Amino acid sequence: MAAIRTQFDQELAELKSGVLRMGSMVEQAIADSMRALVERDNDLAHKVITGDQDVNELHRQLRERAFMIMATQQPVARDLRLIVSFQHMVLELERMGDHAVGIARAALRLNDLPQLKPYVDLPRMAELTESQVHDILGAVIEADQDRARAIAERDDEVDILYHRVWDELVGYMVEDPKNVQRAAVLLFLAKDLERIADRVTNIAEDVVFLHTGRIVELS
Amino acid sequence: MSVASSPDAVAVSGTMDDVPMHAEVAPAAVQGADIKLDTRHVNFYYGDFQALHDVSLAVQACKITALIGPSGCGKTTFLRIFNRMHDLVPGTRATGEVLLDGKNVLDPGTDVIQLRRQVGMLFQRANPFPKSIFDNVAYGPHMLGWSKQQIEAVVEECLKDTGLWDEVKNRLRRSALNLSGGQQQRLCLARALAVKPDVILMDEPASALDPIATLRIEELMQHLKKRYTIVIVTHNMQQASRVSDFTAFMLMNPQRAGELIEFGPTDDIFNRPKDDRTEDYITGRFG
Repeated sequence: MAAIRTQFDQELAELKSGVLRMGSMVEQAIADSMRALVERDNDLAHKVITGDQDVNELHRQLRERAFMIMATQQPVARDLRLIVSFQHMVLELERMGDHAVGIARAALRLNDLPQLKPYVDLPRMAELTESQVHDILGAVIEADQDRARAIAERDDEVDILYHRVWDELVGYMVEDPKNVQRAAVLLFLAKDLERIADRVTNIAEDVVFLHTGRIVELS
Repeated sequence: MSVASSPDAVAVSGTMDDVPMHAEVAPAAVQGADIKLDTRHVNFYYGDFQALHDVSLAVQACKITALIGPSGCGKTTFLRIFNRMHDLVPGTRATGEVLLDGKNVLDPGTDVIQLRRQVGMLFQRANPFPKSIFDNVAYGPHMLGWSKQQIEAVVEECLKDTGLWDEVKNRLRRSALNLSGGQQQRLCLARALAVKPDVILMDEPASALDPIATLRIEELMQHLKKRYTIVIVTHNMQQASRVSDFTAFMLMNPQRAGELIEFGPTDDIFNRPKDDRTEDYITGRFG
């Protein structure tokens, strides 16, 4: 039978493309914020902080667009799941952007101080988290629930590293009170990375919902 | 009363966790529940033309079942079999079984007048008699020879049931034709209720009404389903998803006969349909 919903399909395609664009922006922001720390690059940290306004604006536009599609097209079944999932995904991406800003602010506070310790586990955590963000966007494009589930499972690796970093930084604090300020900032930074990975899991749950219509808990 | 539901070949959506499962055969999302109407392998013909092919569907008592599908898929034809309205069209015939409380209404010995009393119908356009509001509702009870007191009581009861009483109680003797479209439709519903049916068939009952009048009909359906089994044909997807407990999706097969494609709880049909053709239809990919 003839397709009769060209405009609707176009609106959905535009929404999807907007979500992926936002995902790319956030992925870049996370990478830049960590680079700002490791390379002690304050300009890059400022760029991440100001760039977050663009992410927030895109978030606003996409929510508005999703709302308009729901109001005018009254979607059901997979179409409805797609739009509801996208709405939730952009919320998660916006929060990831905020975490990247948190990392950039931490970098600004640390970059002017002597480095507490060589950064080993934190860049590893960041690398894992960035790859999770990158891969989950791929799973969104393909609407691949198996891939989404596999990506969510990788959150455990990030959690293990987070706990290791935590123990190490607490050790530094106990060792010398002068370390407390820098260690505390690094703890918050590690927490930001850990939360980004958690939000990847939330998006993985959206992909599963999109595919099955079932709301699942993957964490 | 509960009767075994029929085996059929349609995709059945959902697990229907709240309905106790029954040992017997397939379909039905309504399996094991209190089945009011059970159609088994129903075929229907207009002369040589087959309009319905092998439709098996179990309608649960005191629930709303919606029939959806593109124009010409046989929804209304199927609906009209339930109270043998097709008898009025020469050259038509139905095969299979349509069990109402376990009794096949297609049996030649069926008392069709009694059947239509038990299975009332509301049409696309309100069709009040050119009589007073009172006489419209009183018509059936009057034909059944009820006493004046009984008739007055049932008129008031049915007008209250349909939310019309407060609107018309001071003008019961005025012509029903002066009512608004929505009021006329509710009056026709009151007329159907007056003869104490078990089942109410609705054929696009709100298609000629404005959104407010439509909403009133839909609210009324929720109120009435506590006591009546309702089967509704609608082209309005939102209406089907809003009001019904179960939804059946029908489609024409290549021979142009209507078939049942999928039947299940409305939540499943509109959120997670099993058959791609259902998904394509409800999402507007064809129609």
